[in-house]
Amino acid sequence: MAIAKAERLMNLALCLLGTRRPLSKRELRESVEAYLEAASDDAFNRMFERDKDDLRELGLVIETVENLEGEVGYLARRDSNRLPPITLDAEEAAALGLAAKVWQQARLAGAASGALQKLRAAGLPEDVDPYGAHSALEPRIPVHEAAFEPLMLACRDRRPVVFDYRKATAAQPEPRHVEPWALECWRGHWYLAGWDRDRGAERVFRLSRITGRVRSRGTRYTAPVPDVVTVRETVASWAGESADRSARIRLRTGAGYPLRAKATSVRELGGGWEELEIPYGHGLDAWLVEFGADVVVLEPAELRADVVDRLRAVAKG
Amino acid sequence: MAGKPVRPANAIDQTRRMLSLVTYLRERPGARIEDVARAFGITEDELVSDLDVLPMCGTSFRGGDLLDIDTDGERIWWHNPAALGAEAAEPLRLAADEATALLVAARAVATLPGLRESDRQALLRATAKVETAAGEAAGASARLSVTFESEGGVFADVDRAIAERRRLWIRYYSPARDELSEREIDPIRLVSVGHTYVEAWCRRSEARRTFRLDRVAEIKILDEPSAPPEIELRDLSEALVQPAAEDPVVVVEVGPGGRWVAEYYPHDSADELPDGGLRVTLRTPDPASLKRLALRLGRDGRIVAPDDLADSARRAAREALAAYDDAGTAG
Repeated sequence: MAIAKAERLMNLALCLLGTRRPLSKRELRESVEAYLEAASDDAFNRMFERDKDDLRELGLVIETVENLEGEVGYLARRDSNRLPPITLDAEEAAALGLAAKVWQQARLAGAASGALQKLRAAGLPEDVDPYGAHSALEPRIPVHEAAFEPLMLACRDRRPVVFDYRKATAAQPEPRHVEPWALECWRGHWYLAGWDRDRGAERVFRLSRITGRVRSRGTRYTAPVPDVVTVRETVASWAGESADRSARIRLRTGAGYPLRAKATSVRELGGGWEELEIPYGHGLDAWLVEFGADVVVLEPAELRADVVDRLRAVAKG
Repeated sequence: MAGKPVRPANAIDQTRRMLSLVTYLRERPGARIEDVARAFGITEDELVSDLDVLPMCGTSFRGGDLLDIDTDGERIWWHNPAALGAEAAEPLRLAADEATALLVAARAVATLPGLRESDRQALLRATAKVETAAGEAAGASARLSVTFESEGGVFADVDRAIAERRRLWIRYYSPARDELSEREIDPIRLVSVGHTYVEAWCRRSEARRTFRLDRVAEIKILDEPSAPPEIELRDLSEALVQPAAEDPVVVVEVGPGGRWVAEYYPHDSADELPDGGLRVTLRTPDPASLKRLALRLGRDGRIVAPDDLADSARRAAREALAAYDDAGTAG
């Protein structure tokens, strides 16, 4: 029976961690049972290369050293693999315990538990059900977008990518070549900020609009990565939250609570109406139309015209 | 625990875990399976499967120094801890992904406005310590960030009501009806998935309801004790509101400018139209609530079915237009 991969990885890790001198591939092959069973040199070589990558993925620093005879050897030095001393009290441990549970994405959920396990091995206090005793808080970070994982790795490794992207109002996706900088989750949706090579400018992409696969481009970044990447501000302005003007509307008493909650002033008009002053940003016209006959735009004239225009389209429907 | 994602067995996760396990067990001869599984956040079955693999592992297959670890089903014994040099069993540094996963989550939780101040302080202290211990591996964590949205004051009141098992009175905004209604609710838990929600037993409808905190216009903690019936907590990892099979069907046709409908509404199907638009078929328990959508779409789309919904949107638009005709000029 084939030897389980976890067993093979574990043996390789223990060999590399346990040695004080670099071990050659030949020595490693003789030390790990699964490698002895490899059908051919080729099969062994492929397996060994993949296994080294996997161990590096889980944090092992593996050095490659060439000896005097030109033979390559491998080892995982204790100095570079040891967790620096860290002391956490019970409260801090409980806080991390809560944080480690929030990911709903397999890779990051696994990595968060892995981090906690390493800290546990290093003496992180074990507590009873973190927060369970006094709070019912369950934060969750949703990740529904297939493009998330490849983009997360591309941001981490600073690898340019190409993907098909469908703009909000476009029927057909278009390929976009991007140097990815950072991912941000806001209001439950993930966004990518990066350098758009085709447009020669910084752009923000919504992951749910990426269609098909994210492919890596084995090239270097051509644009400098800014120290601070602001995804949220860009998305907020799309959502009309960066209003720079204000509008006056008439609102039926009792209706439109969210408009009222945003109003900078409210004046009673009598006859079941109130006059409100509200921030006017992108998308306000579409929002006001939702309230139908309970809202009448007073000014500016441009907003009034937009709303009337929208209402006419629906009335004709 | 409810809401815990099910992960397939993964060789990398298992290897990572076994490396930590070796360090952990070395310090604790005779550790109880139950305790170790809890400390590692895994099931007892997962732990037992690790214990099946460990005896096949060692620093050298040939040298005969495999780990002699076994269990009687209750406790775990390691008979030759010297098989691994003292150094080979030291805690391992964090990988970039591990540091990122933990730090990004910790920073996100710390942004919850209603988090108890003492908990936030503990989290910030822990985050700083982990950043230091992770060293370079912490660097990539700046490339990922998450912001939870929630109303601080409302959150704090709900959290307190849950802790003290008290009933809540809320004035709640329903966008579907554009109205505020008063309800008494027995809060069960707070859930943050993008927005923050309280899941509660609604005394008015005698049913489980989920309320979005940014739609709570007013809140009061009542003196009555909260007494939600025993209900099974759902896995909220998917959409919070799932339409039921028996809900009425609504068909919406949108142009290119209305394609966002397919992103915001859970739907049964979204078929491409020749003009670059979509025909979206969805189900909702309350089709009247979609009148707002029809109005919002304007020339970017229209309700195709049911007819009475399409009619009510047209009527609402005509009524609204009448106000502009009457008013003539602004003000």
